[in-house]
Amino acid sequence: MSTEAVVSAIKDSGKTRSPLRISGRSTWLDAGRPVRAAKMLSLRDDSGVVGYVPGDLTLTVRAGTPLSEIERVTREHDQWLPLDPYGSPDGTIGATIATASAGPLASSFGLPRDLLLGLEFVNGRGDVVRGGGKVVKNVAGFDLSRLLTGSWGTLGVITEVTLRLYALPKADRTFAIALKGSEKEVASLVRGIVMSPLTPFALQLLNPPAARTVGLGEHPVCLVRFGGNDAVVRAQVSALSQIARPEEVDAAVWTRFRQLDGNAHTMIRIVSLPHRFLATSARILGDDVPGIYTCIDPRRGVLRIVVGIDGENGDGDTPAIAVSADFHKDGAESSEVIFEKLPPDLWRGVSPSVVQDVLSQRIKRAYDPHNILNPGILGD
Amino acid sequence: MTQPTSAPTQANTTPAQSAVAERLADIVGERHVLSRPSELLVYNSDGLPGYRRQPRLAVFPGTREETVAVVRLLADEGLSFVPRGAGTGLSGGALADDIVVIGLHRLKKIISLDVQNRRATVEPGVVNLRLNKHVAPHGLLYAPDPSSEAACTIGGNVAENAGGPHCLKYGVTLNHVLAMTVVLPSGEVVELGSKVGERDGYDLRGAFIGSEGCFGLALDITVKLTPRPQTVRTLLADFTSIDQAAHVTSAIIASGIVPAALEFMDGPTIRVVEDSIYAAGYPRDAEAILLIELDGLEAGVSADLEAVRRICIDGGARNVKVARDDAERMKLWQGRKKAFGAMGRLAPHLIVQDAVIPRTRLPEILATIRAIGEKYGVIVCNVFHAGDGNLHPNIAYSADDPGESERVHKAMTEIMQACIDAGGSITGEHGVGLDKMGYMEAIFSESSLNAMCELRAVFDPERRSNPGKVVPVHACKEWNAVSGGRLRMGASSPVDAHEPRPLEAEPPHPSAT
Repeated sequence: MSTEAVVSAIKDSGKTRSPLRISGRSTWLDAGRPVRAAKMLSLRDDSGVVGYVPGDLTLTVRAGTPLSEIERVTREHDQWLPLDPYGSPDGTIGATIATASAGPLASSFGLPRDLLLGLEFVNGRGDVVRGGGKVVKNVAGFDLSRLLTGSWGTLGVITEVTLRLYALPKADRTFAIALKGSEKEVASLVRGIVMSPLTPFALQLLNPPAARTVGLGEHPVCLVRFGGNDAVVRAQVSALSQIARPEEVDAAVWTRFRQLDGNAHTMIRIVSLPHRFLATSARILGDDVPGIYTCIDPRRGVLRIVVGIDGENGDGDTPAIAVSADFHKDGAESSEVIFEKLPPDLWRGVSPSVVQDVLSQRIKRAYDPHNILNPGILGD
Repeated sequence: MTQPTSAPTQANTTPAQSAVAERLADIVGERHVLSRPSELLVYNSDGLPGYRRQPRLAVFPGTREETVAVVRLLADEGLSFVPRGAGTGLSGGALADDIVVIGLHRLKKIISLDVQNRRATVEPGVVNLRLNKHVAPHGLLYAPDPSSEAACTIGGNVAENAGGPHCLKYGVTLNHVLAMTVVLPSGEVVELGSKVGERDGYDLRGAFIGSEGCFGLALDITVKLTPRPQTVRTLLADFTSIDQAAHVTSAIIASGIVPAALEFMDGPTIRVVEDSIYAAGYPRDAEAILLIELDGLEAGVSADLEAVRRICIDGGARNVKVARDDAERMKLWQGRKKAFGAMGRLAPHLIVQDAVIPRTRLPEILATIRAIGEKYGVIVCNVFHAGDGNLHPNIAYSADDPGESERVHKAMTEIMQACIDAGGSITGEHGVGLDKMGYMEAIFSESSLNAMCELRAVFDPERRSNPGKVVPVHACKEWNAVSGGRLRMGASSPVDAHEPRPLEAEPPHPSAT
């Protein structure tokens, strides 16, 4: 697989008007909306490093490169790509960018759009297009990189990306704080941690089912990751110890956390004003229904609800849907409800399309005039 | 004082133009419309010397409603326009060639400040530094800090995706803007992005930021605010060779420490700053200095400070001085931020360049720049964001000397080519505007430029907003196919007579080429 092969696949499909299902390594294939396509265009075999000069802290790779491979290659030079989306580490960087998927590190290192420097893609006419560049700062031309990020393959097939890397921190330690006590006590502890001057790499609040699944006991848990030089990590751990009782845990907990999803049939992300979660997190975390995992990033204002197969079945009335409906009522002003995955029959009940506005429609028509790239995945 | 405008000063004003001016005056008030050539002189350049374009009219709406009404009127008339903030841009991007300027500096309300959630919503004419002063008492800052921060506006920052010294650690405007309300050139008002920072669907916010006024005007902008760091320490390291300073820069970046800022000034720049009223106490006999700032939690900063000091000394620094207090820090920064201004002492004109290179190539490219300067007998002053590899090679010269002008332009073209050949970019923060358009084809393929044209056509099918900028018109092969062939109204109006015309239509593009 190469850019040329993608070009010819797209041109062939354009001639016959037969839509393509664009996929990386198919680790999260049924996550999005139903796609109307008979054929699959997989980037699985288009993998590998194109350019890596460690001193520049930039990396150019083919889109089919698995995240685990990027981790391996950069670790050899004591560097990393601080991007840890949920799901399998075998997922590809192309799919991660195309779906704008991020994980707990996003609160410190930003979203995929913040780590991406440039990309190459093939649009729906088979034209090879490059946006951005390979240097860390660049404002030349209109920003096609940001446009493609999170477009779910509907505007073009991403074939190559250039990313910003960071040096691996000298110290990288993770702590768990059991959130015991009354709702009020939990709320005050969470507020104390979040409002402190601490600058953790990641901070997540887990409800009891999530805590149990990652092996952290029966209570809601606050999971904190500190990174940096030894001095700054030590100072932060000591500051945290003055307001809570952190217990150091193995970093592997994050891998389990990212794969909480397992066989989940429903995943909903609610993004709201961070402060709202300070007020409500204790109540949300108190819910202990088997198979329903809720995790909150109170600094970024993100609540993620994952309903596993042992949770409520997808008959349209799960508690997760009910919570998200609560946020929906507030209107777009203060929250966004993003459906990452739903049982097929539930899609009908949610917003029919996230690209209905006139600008999005025009962009789609310009970049994919035959509507052959992942049609339906974002709605119509 | 308030006599009606007299005929002689409007000698080249046509009746159609007067009619438009009158209707604009009906919207914004007579004193906020300029049409006399003498009044418009102020708007015939931006911060980059060397380009002058005379606008036909300038209109300055005072409210969001007036702005939308102005844009709608121009849409009805089929007239082209250029949005303009403070006019501090360095790419010729805010120039209006015989078309209408919409000046947005009167839209200067800070609409809301949400301290708890660290967000502010502002009108586009709010000056960058004013926003920072407004949020400082709450322990917050707005991170992007272009050197023109005392004058430039947030709207202009959005249009250019502005950077600044501290974007090395904190990122550029793109990383700090969450949402915008935008009036499209058609007059339609749309919301882009989301105040909560993330949303489903295409990132139209990301597409709009850095669109250089070609996609419409922002009516309000919601930005993310950053907590002020607990500790800030600033170091000045001086070197007797440029090469040493360049290698130290690469070594700091490679060490993994991310300074808040890492700025480079070469010998000619140091001396011109020290001769000016902005003298910062830089060692005059140094061939290069690095201004390095570290911030964050006290414990971490102290450890990094030691590590950086060690790298500097191991790399041959003669002295490493750490600013003792805020006053000393400010003085060190003053010299850096005012360096462009100080260069006015050297010669009447200044070419300001803005290129980016991979950071490991810094020593080699600086040597190349010096060799090019010697070849053409010009003095290149380098003052730049070394940590990002964002170069600003500047040449002071007299544009009145044709021989010198030619040598300066040849030298600059060669410098840009060297940066492109190193795998770099033609602009890191100033934008393409008019000045860099000629280089776009050197870094982007025909199909990439065409994709940019198509994106512009999505926002501005009639190409009336800041026409003739960013992407060369001839690169837009799909133009007519995308714009749906809608004719521009009022094409015969004298005001838009200079608008670049669409190229000849091509049939809608089939999948095969």
